[in-house]
Amino acid sequence: MGEVSTAGSGVGARVRRKEDDRLLRGRGRFVGDIALVGMKELAFVRSPVAHATITGIEIPEEHRGTVFTWADLAAGGVKPIRAVSGLPGFKVSEQPALADGKVRFVGEPVAVCVAATRAEAEDIAASVFVDYAELPVNSDMLEAVTPGAPKVHDHWPDNVFLETNVGGTIAEIAATAPVKVSRTIRTARQCMVPLEGKGVVAHWDRHVEQLVLTTSTQMPHIVRAGLSECLDLDQGLIRVVAPDVGGGFGWKGLLQPEEIVAAWIAMRLDRPVRWTEDRREHLVAAANAREHHYEITAYADARGRLLGIEADAWVDAGAYSVYPFSACLEAAQVGSILPGPYDFAHYRCRTFSVCTNKPPIVPYRGVARTGVCFAMEQMIDAVADAVGREPWQVRLENLVPPEKMPFDNVTKKHFDSGDYPESVRRAVAAIELDGWRARQKAGEADGRLIGVGFATYCEQSAHGTAVYHGWGIPMVPGHEQAQARITPDGGLELRVGVQSHGQSMETTFAQVAHEVLGIPLEKIKLVHGDTGLTPYSTGTWGSRSMVMAGGAVATACRTLAERLRRIGAHLMQAGPEAVVLEEGSVKAGAAAVTIREIAHTWYRAPQLLPADVDRGGLEVTAGYKPGSDHGTFSYATHAVAVAVDPEIGQVEILDYVVVEDAGTMVNPMVVDGQIYGGVAQGVGTALYERMPYDAEGQPLASTFADYLIPGFTEVPHVRIIHMLTPSPYTEFGVKGIGEGGAIAPPAAICNAINDALKPLGVTVTNAPMTPEVILCAIAETRGAA
Amino acid sequence: MSTHAKTISLTINGTRVEASVPPRQHLGDFLRERELLTGTHLGCEHGVCGACTILIDGEPARSCITFAVACDGRSVTTVEGLDDDPVAAELREAFSAEHGLQCGFCTPGMLVAARDVVLRRPDADNPAIRTAMSGNLCRCTGYVGIVNAIRRVIDARNTNAG
Amino acid sequence: MKAVDFDYAQPATLDAALELLAREDVMVRPVAGSQSLGPMLNLRLAQPELLVDITRIAELRTIRQEGDRLVIGACVTHARLEDGDYPDVTRGVLPSVAAVIAYRAVRNRGTIGGSLAHADPAADWVNVLTALGADVVIAGTGGRRSVPMTDFILGVFETALQPGEIVAEIHVPALSDRARWGYYKVCRKTGEFSHATGAVLIDPARGVQRCVAGATSGKPVVIDGPALFADGCTEAAMAAHLAGSPAADDPIALRTHTVALKRAIAQVMS
Ligand SMILES: Cc1cc2nc3c(=O)[nH]c(=O)nc-3n(C[C@H](O)[C@H](O)[C@H](O)COP(=O)(O)OP(=O)(O)OC[C@H]3O[C@@H](n4cnc5c(N)ncnc54)[C@H](O)[C@@H]3O)c2cc1C
Ligand code: FES
Ligand code: FES
Repeated sequence: MGEVSTAGSGVGARVRRKEDDRLLRGRGRFVGDIALVGMKELAFVRSPVAHATITGIEIPEEHRGTVFTWADLAAGGVKPIRAVSGLPGFKVSEQPALADGKVRFVGEPVAVCVAATRAEAEDIAASVFVDYAELPVNSDMLEAVTPGAPKVHDHWPDNVFLETNVGGTIAEIAATAPVKVSRTIRTARQCMVPLEGKGVVAHWDRHVEQLVLTTSTQMPHIVRAGLSECLDLDQGLIRVVAPDVGGGFGWKGLLQPEEIVAAWIAMRLDRPVRWTEDRREHLVAAANAREHHYEITAYADARGRLLGIEADAWVDAGAYSVYPFSACLEAAQVGSILPGPYDFAHYRCRTFSVCTNKPPIVPYRGVARTGVCFAMEQMIDAVADAVGREPWQVRLENLVPPEKMPFDNVTKKHFDSGDYPESVRRAVAAIELDGWRARQKAGEADGRLIGVGFATYCEQSAHGTAVYHGWGIPMVPGHEQAQARITPDGGLELRVGVQSHGQSMETTFAQVAHEVLGIPLEKIKLVHGDTGLTPYSTGTWGSRSMVMAGGAVATACRTLAERLRRIGAHLMQAGPEAVVLEEGSVKAGAAAVTIREIAHTWYRAPQLLPADVDRGGLEVTAGYKPGSDHGTFSYATHAVAVAVDPEIGQVEILDYVVVEDAGTMVNPMVVDGQIYGGVAQGVGTALYERMPYDAEGQPLASTFADYLIPGFTEVPHVRIIHMLTPSPYTEFGVKGIGEGGAIAPPAAICNAINDALKPLGVTVTNAPMTPEVILCAIAETRGAA
Repeated sequence: MSTHAKTISLTINGTRVEASVPPRQHLGDFLRERELLTGTHLGCEHGVCGACTILIDGEPARSCITFAVACDGRSVTTVEGLDDDPVAAELREAFSAEHGLQCGFCTPGMLVAARDVVLRRPDADNPAIRTAMSGNLCRCTGYVGIVNAIRRVIDARNTNAG
Repeated sequence: MKAVDFDYAQPATLDAALELLAREDVMVRPVAGSQSLGPMLNLRLAQPELLVDITRIAELRTIRQEGDRLVIGACVTHARLEDGDYPDVTRGVLPSVAAVIAYRAVRNRGTIGGSLAHADPAADWVNVLTALGADVVIAGTGGRRSVPMTDFILGVFETALQPGEIVAEIHVPALSDRARWGYYKVCRKTGEFSHATGAVLIDPARGVQRCVAGATSGKPVVIDGPALFADGCTEAAMAAHLAGSPAADDPIALRTHTVALKRAIAQVMS
């Protein structure tokens, strides 16, 4: 490849972000900032019960005409959301944008109210009376799969969207393995909590005759496809625009009922309308991530070498299948990635995507990996405990060694590159394990217990076509496209269909283009997140944007470079093979012609162009796919030292180290930022975040006072150590890193807590590990003793 | 519209403003919807996240749980009003250098809170910075870049002062 | 998440405020810093018809010393108490407590009187002023009365305030130079409301030996005398003192309350 430099402003440079200035001056433009003339505000009437038949909706006389229900939408031809998976046995749910006679979770939209201000729309919503005949509720996934459980969808035989079976029988290993350890492991239901909620402004643009939906989304093209299906409107009549988006993490990677409603109302009233999700709506109606339950057994030899893994896993997928990822993506992923970065031969996993009376599950940063890593890494520590070795030694025993790379694992995942064991060795050294072990032995003056924990994972990112085709969901990534255009003044415009909502793409894609073309970053403009202005893309998810769209940008720029060279050579009367493109100029020996001059020639002085000039000119659309359809595998080992207060169950993180391999880093500052941010979310999963439900399916948190996300004093000053093994399959050797930080913290912290609690003989296996969970575990062990 | 609208007169970013406001309108909505000062963000509207933090008579306050009507006669400064503020300028520079923002949604509130920390706590070490900033939530950065940025500004000021 | 429509008044004098608060034709409620009421309004958990803003009443914003007592106006903010520009007869207790209430932006507007009137069992002033032995001066159209903290907080969000009355002043007795103070809150996050609070005051000069267990889902539990000192703060002892409170029946809560108080006691013993 040979194109990677660390200085300057190309690939590898720690340059400042182009997006910073406007955001630092409060001059960003988020959906909630947009006001259109005559715009109305929407507020939703939402179900206060988890499962009920709607027997009546009373709209006060004075508000008729400003309140709409499914009856209105259905009469207008609106269809329910259908997110079908092609996997055999998948049961289809239909999700009407407003409840159609039945509600299936607390917070489900039942009616929409339109008024001049949000406050007035809420006044109207408060005056709408809905009569609910309550039905028995499935509030827990394990109960929902028992015989006789109430059915969420009446016409289904049970409450399982999909069951999958991966791997073969491992009865033989089970019978003979010297070491066998089993655990019951659970992760709580979480909210993703981007600091900006969802939001939509919809209006009909009379001039271009298009519905324009400005929405805080990660995937404008997919939202357009879904809207088109539900509104029965040609895609050409819809434009979806993502403005500045205040974080996504997965919550903005779906078609939302509220988007459909806003679009329909805007057309029906021929008025701009806006809906902004408030925090209570988010916490109640969008508590939709991460809820896994595992019954898992590891088999190993006396050294702790894994012989096999056997697991049953349940994922609480909530009431409906979301568009486009479907209700089964999470659980199906569990089956395929549970083996983690380890090399072992025998595997069996059965998964259930369970339908319950909770909000539909959406893939959250790391998707199933956070739960999978939590389960698998606890098993590694359990095996280590059983064989009396240090957990890191057992990791080294089992990780895929570098000499086996590239490596196809037990579920046929193709690990592309790297030195997994080295990440563990470096983490052990960086956390200074010996020092902690000594301190542990000495004991703390304040009575707290010290523990150290590790977790290793590898993460497939930039998924290819085969796996999504296999799932048969409404979205299959193929070639990613980018457009690159030299402007008449020698600048560059890039257009990509992915969407940047914190990932810094305005900067990093410019760095990629600069690497190829040498145009200064200030003169490179990224256009993204707009179906009207960018090539089709499935959007930003799965740590794919830099690998896929970055690859496409590089490819497009290379084609441009070649065209520039040819024109430049002609202008200097040199042969095309005698020139180079360097520092923004085409050079032939001492002679040079700048890109600006070439641009001027193409646009303003075409008479000077060579006769055989490429007619595509200085504008290119190029498609890109990595060399392997399996995408890239980044990996990391996280090491954490904690102090557990056994009297009040609180955990303090004393040190946190991440040793990770993101391949080539386009901008190390941005990579670090993604990791810091991911770890903070992982700390939330580990210690704080849980949406509790009572038996009636009522969410028991609805504000930031009861749903705790980690703040400044709860998140450690993480230390990051990079290993740089370029992927053999991608442009510049980059790998996806957007999600990784959030994957390992719950596992590493859990292992650290259990290390600390070892003297008490206590083990915790459920996240979040709140004071209550830890105190209960201590109390139970005492009670049992 | 509210039948209880009240006329208030206040200074916003140095300019006198007179307005008729419904008492139920919180200051954040007033600034955003009426004054089009959309740099002030709303992340929770119940006082916890800090995204809406602005200055009232120079002191940081939550604009989501302060009602506009209560600000009659006060002076309100939003992020847009800090363009020429020297401390805010140093912080903007440091936030950019230390990658103290990603999506930028928490950023205006962070700057207002950070400015107060720089001015009120010039002696703060990193744990003190974290405690002093704990009323502002960020879901993107993991806080490291923000702490480093505030550290950088405090250190530079102390060096220049010493 | 917007409040219901309400009317608003901002009287300049206490009498004017009390007159408005005495109105019976509308649902009227005082508001001070709106740092507790604001969220409740936005969430529509409170739906008043008229808010009477008492923060412009000058006399409610003063702090003065009267003999060996500090008299704090109800509308004095936590931030001002934190910054300490007054004769602090508590030898640092008030500023140190104020500094750990919520966050600075909240402290800049939230008031001591609002905090007491709100009567969240987990609130700092509710427990601290109980431990310090403060009195609350209540004003109504019928005049003023003084109520000791132990009789002011009656339960969760429940106080001795009658309709139309407000907290006007808080009288805090001086601590002697031999006084010792211990305070421990169990919070999962900085600035978060406490899950268990221990407040302890020993002041030999005044013959005070007082422990307060707060955030018990009820009024502060006051345990006077030496019983809990030395090694007396056990779960069994606490179970007896907390009897009747939900915290007594939940072993985890009981444990946490015991530890909070034990740690506050350790501060005065060290
Ligand atoms: C994010 C956040 C975190 C917080 N954390 C803490 C914490 O850790 N510890 C803590 O103690 N507090 C905490 N608080 C609460 C804060 O201290 C409030 O300021 C305080 O509880 C209420 O004071 P206020 O002046 O804002 O009262 P308001 O919100 O204006 O009023 C509260 C209630 O008291 C009534 N009221 C107000 N003043 C009077 C009066 N003088 N007489 C009679 N009634 C009156 C009102 O009608 C209302 O019912 C937190 C608040 C927030 C938003
Ligand atoms: S919006 Fe005001 S604190 Fe969150
Ligand atoms: S940068 Fe996104 S919330 Fe802070």
